[in-house]
Amino acid sequence: MLPQPVPEISLYLAWAAAVVPLAAFGIILVFLRGLPRAAAGTSVAAAAVSLICAVCLLVRHLGMDAPLQSSVTWMASGDFEIAVGTLLDPLSLVMLVIVTCIAFLVQVYSLGYMAGDAGYGRYFGFMSLFAWAMSGLVLAPNILQVFIFWELVGVSSYLLIGFWYEKFSATRAGKKAFIMTRAGDTLFFWGWLILLVWGGTLQIFELNSGAHGLSSAMTTASALLVFGGIIGKSAQFPLMTWLPDAMEGPTPVSALLHSATMVAAGVFLLGRLFPFFSQSDTVMTVCMAVGTVSMLLSATMAMVSRDIKQVWAYSTISQLGFMIMALGAGGYAAGIFHLTTHAGFKALLFLCAGVLIHAHDTNDMFVIGRAGGRRMKTAMVCMTAGALALAGIWPFSGFFSKEAIMGALAAADNPVWLFCGLAGVFLTAYYTFRLIFIILFPRTQAAGANSHGHGSVPASAAMYAVLVILAVITLAAGFFAQGFQDFISIHSPHAKDGHTAFLAHIASPVLAVAGIFAAWMQFGRSASDQVGFAEKIGPVGRLFASRWYLDHVYAWITDRVLDRGIAEGARRTENRVIEGALAMITGWVVICGRMAAGWHRAMIQPKLMVAFAVMFGLTLILLVV
Amino acid sequence: MQMHAAHFPFLSTILLICVSGLALVLVLPKNSNAAVKWVSAACSAATLALSVFLFAAYDRAAGGMQFVERLDWIPSMGISYLNGIDGFAAPMLLLTGIVFFTGVVSMWELDFRVKEFFALFILLVIGVYGMFMALDLFFIFVWFDVSLLPMYLLIVIWGSSAREYGAMKLTLYLLFGSALILPGIIYLAAVSGLETFSLPALVENASFSGFEQKTAFLLFYIGFGILAGVWPFHSWSPTGHVAAPTAVSMLHAGVLMKIGAFGILRVGMFLCPEGWMYWSPMMAVLAVIGIVYGVMVGLRQTDLKFVIGYSSVSHMGIVGLGFATMTVDGINGAVFQMFAHGVMTALFFSAVGHIYDRTHTREIGELGGLSAVMPAASSYFVIAALAGIGVPCLASFWAELLVFIAAFRVYPALAMISVGVLVVNALFMLRVVRNTCFGPLNPRWAHLKDMSFAMGMPRAVLAAAIVGFGLMPFLMYDLIQTASVPLIHALGPAVGLAGPESVETLFTELMSVWP
Amino acid sequence: MIVPYTHVMLLGAIVFLMGMICTLTRRNLIMIIVGLEIMLNAAAIVFVGAGLQFQQIEGQVMALFIVAVAAAEVSVGLAMVVCIYRQRHSIDPQCIENSPRVPDPKAASEPLTLNT
Repeated sequence: MLPQPVPEISLYLAWAAAVVPLAAFGIILVFLRGLPRAAAGTSVAAAAVSLICAVCLLVRHLGMDAPLQSSVTWMASGDFEIAVGTLLDPLSLVMLVIVTCIAFLVQVYSLGYMAGDAGYGRYFGFMSLFAWAMSGLVLAPNILQVFIFWELVGVSSYLLIGFWYEKFSATRAGKKAFIMTRAGDTLFFWGWLILLVWGGTLQIFELNSGAHGLSSAMTTASALLVFGGIIGKSAQFPLMTWLPDAMEGPTPVSALLHSATMVAAGVFLLGRLFPFFSQSDTVMTVCMAVGTVSMLLSATMAMVSRDIKQVWAYSTISQLGFMIMALGAGGYAAGIFHLTTHAGFKALLFLCAGVLIHAHDTNDMFVIGRAGGRRMKTAMVCMTAGALALAGIWPFSGFFSKEAIMGALAAADNPVWLFCGLAGVFLTAYYTFRLIFIILFPRTQAAGANSHGHGSVPASAAMYAVLVILAVITLAAGFFAQGFQDFISIHSPHAKDGHTAFLAHIASPVLAVAGIFAAWMQFGRSASDQVGFAEKIGPVGRLFASRWYLDHVYAWITDRVLDRGIAEGARRTENRVIEGALAMITGWVVICGRMAAGWHRAMIQPKLMVAFAVMFGLTLILLVV
Repeated sequence: MQMHAAHFPFLSTILLICVSGLALVLVLPKNSNAAVKWVSAACSAATLALSVFLFAAYDRAAGGMQFVERLDWIPSMGISYLNGIDGFAAPMLLLTGIVFFTGVVSMWELDFRVKEFFALFILLVIGVYGMFMALDLFFIFVWFDVSLLPMYLLIVIWGSSAREYGAMKLTLYLLFGSALILPGIIYLAAVSGLETFSLPALVENASFSGFEQKTAFLLFYIGFGILAGVWPFHSWSPTGHVAAPTAVSMLHAGVLMKIGAFGILRVGMFLCPEGWMYWSPMMAVLAVIGIVYGVMVGLRQTDLKFVIGYSSVSHMGIVGLGFATMTVDGINGAVFQMFAHGVMTALFFSAVGHIYDRTHTREIGELGGLSAVMPAASSYFVIAALAGIGVPCLASFWAELLVFIAAFRVYPALAMISVGVLVVNALFMLRVVRNTCFGPLNPRWAHLKDMSFAMGMPRAVLAAAIVGFGLMPFLMYDLIQTASVPLIHALGPAVGLAGPESVETLFTELMSVWP
Repeated sequence: MIVPYTHVMLLGAIVFLMGMICTLTRRNLIMIIVGLEIMLNAAAIVFVGAGLQFQQIEGQVMALFIVAVAAAEVSVGLAMVVCIYRQRHSIDPQCIENSPRVPDPKAASEPLTLNT
């Protein structure tokens, strides 16, 4: 089905949704740095405008039967055109709503959370920058625009993770995030260079419908390279260790970027190019494999972590792995539905964690539990709701999306994927409720529990309001499952919503409950010692806690291979070979000069005599000859 | 090449404004530092205004050489004073205007021999402006040398670490380059048989044999390439950067290295297309080595200016790669990169100079946490670093994008290597930013004050140029296109091929043979 | 020609030889310079004679050039002799044995001050 042009009002709505935050960013950074409340107001207003535009767009096009696309040529060089525009189809409409909604809610939450911070204005400026970049990404009709906004999203992530720049660890985390995603982006760049130069097109529509000139080997190669970019952005194995470190940023940033939207951009791209990727079975298998490995590895890492935000970070990686598994298995609607529900409940979990961290000034869940975290009723209720959704318990939204994913995995040829998925369900429930029980049932109550530490402010009404809204969404979204999946699947010809395997649908909730029960046994019961079964086995616990030594590998690569290897080699070449060659040449010149100087220095008269004799001799020879 | 005569000699006006500024500075009494600075600032602002005007007033639809002025200089040898700008030169004039103005304002706090400094500085800029405008080979060479010689004095008197060594090395190396150019020019002028040094006349009417073109192009490539930072002739550049004072570094990395690349373009590629085609694989390989090498060596540097110097070598490699592809996209990207990198590196050196003036150290290990005391200065530094990394919507992204796309078409493996190095580029830039601006504040710097509005103004101008052309690259591309498209389409007949279609097949063959 | 051409050439040769012997055998820097002058004058004689023989005025022109060049060269030479005398207190060519080494350019130098 060819894309139709976008009707005028929708075009204005789409551009407004994307560009208004950019204007807010410019205004804030140039004029409003010193006026924090005006900056915050501008940014929140821009986010609200974007949200309204996105919802209007969704409502207008609820019954669409063909994707809508329109582009403007931004720049032309030779015969290569750089076009900027919008592509409106169910996927982009839904993603736009998700992005703008979560951005708006998080910015409202930040009004309370970041109050009193010195960089308040700068924070909201960068938030608007991110909102612009993400909106531009989801509306993109061609890969180049995706790439441009992909990089911009990375930059705003860098700026926001390293927001508290006085902390060395924060700036290091920001740099690590940028470099790892950049490594993925390099693969993405190679991939789309192949698409452009040998395939002839970067238009998403043409790629998906097969109207490109690539052979099947080239299709596989370029799809794998593009998937490399997705691995980087969505923190999958092996480029996954930047995401836990990115928790150095403020909690609302973690909620927005590193759970709901930016990391979801990778999965979004996979969904966007789903028909293109489906053209090669190898690529789909690789997607499933990478998703599975990431999911299992990060679930193990979450099982032993003491830091609330890190648990949710590992959980994000794990859930993204689930989504990629689903998409790799052909379950397009299942993957996208889980993306939607995950955005809701993961943001909720992070924001609740933010309330707890704000009140107790620590990230450690044991300390929070002992200091009386359970007394913050709203936060605990909302967090439990989010946790139940994450674990996949009825009637929360996570249950429906997990069911859909299990269905897709069951339809795959190899039962290994389904088993891994079910194992993931168990582990998810386990580590989630480990955290809940540690906070709810702390071992020792500190006398005179200090629930207000240094510099902490009781959470403001804005923060609680956002929590409640998100909890309601988490509860209610599940009931729209079927409608959602029908809407999403309209234009994807390859969506195989699997025929259900009864066993999978029974096994999944049973395993979830089993996971919760196991967590109760180890952490919740008053007689338990709150040490998980993984931690009890020393080497295994250490393996999980040090992130399967991935960081060691990266440190080794950066230090030995790059810094002390290639770079040092280059520096030595510079000093010894190039400068050495230069010094050698100039040395020769100096020697020759000294030699020539020697001819008319010191005892000049004998040398002159020789010179005259030579001249006379030459003249005689000339005369004779 | 079409020549449109000027109704008013704008180009000579630019030169004359500079000359009169120079004369005025020289006649001012010895201790009137403020007057000298204001005169220089006025002169630079006037030339900036004129170059902006020329950039805008260039008729993109008509193309060709515009604002052409001509005076017979030495008729018996065929030398004439011939100026004109086309789509390649106009962005360079704008770049010079911007860097000149911001450089002058960046040195506002100088108090040692102010008069001599600004006089030499203006003389340098006269040479630069002249080089971009000149269309007569003789004058191209003259302006080239005029822009080289003041560098020695500027670095040796007002410079910092190892200034005699740096100044001597820079000047001698670059003069060696000019010693290669002059024979090339004379050789071509002599064998053409036309008794003229005028470039347009030679391009239209002279037909050089293959051997002549290849030799001459090699001479021009190495001679101008030394100035352009072509690997392995780049080593004068980092030493020179470190030794030079701020404004001279800004001019040096921002404009002088572009003169070299411009010389390769204007003299080498226009006159010797067959030579260009013959040497382009070598150009591509050297360019990619330069890109990788500059980044790798920069990783191990601890002096801020060395870091930026080596990153300049890397970025100029991108220019060289664009030239080597012999496509419209490649040349567009290369010329845009010349502009974008010039502005970006001027901003970098301006920010570093500000930091050095306050802290008197450039060692990365000693700086730290400057964002806390100098937020404005640090944010300019961060903008420059992000531009260096190639973040979209800052000017150098578009340049690198087009060069990589063009390079991928012609030399896929080399393009992939260049793209792969982007990660390491980001790594070392962000490391520098982190160690300088972020992190806990080193107590030694707690007393520093931030940039005042006057000092911040030139940096704001540079940052605005980076962001402006980053968001609206078509402003520059439309201009560059008018010159690059005719250049590439004229290649067909000149290299003995039928036309553009054959050039495509030639590239396909090149691609299958050369990785 | 009043004087035969060969006689003029012979005169030039003899004067040149005398100048050469003066330069090569004297132990006095000023006398070395005097010897150079004598050789130059010999060249001038040859030029004038050849000009008259072949009827070209360039001979006389060259003689004038030689006079001008000799004047310039003598002034520079004598200035150098004065310098050498100030340093070594002698104008014996044997005492100009060792010239100073060129300093290493990479060595750090003192910063320039306003009083320099």
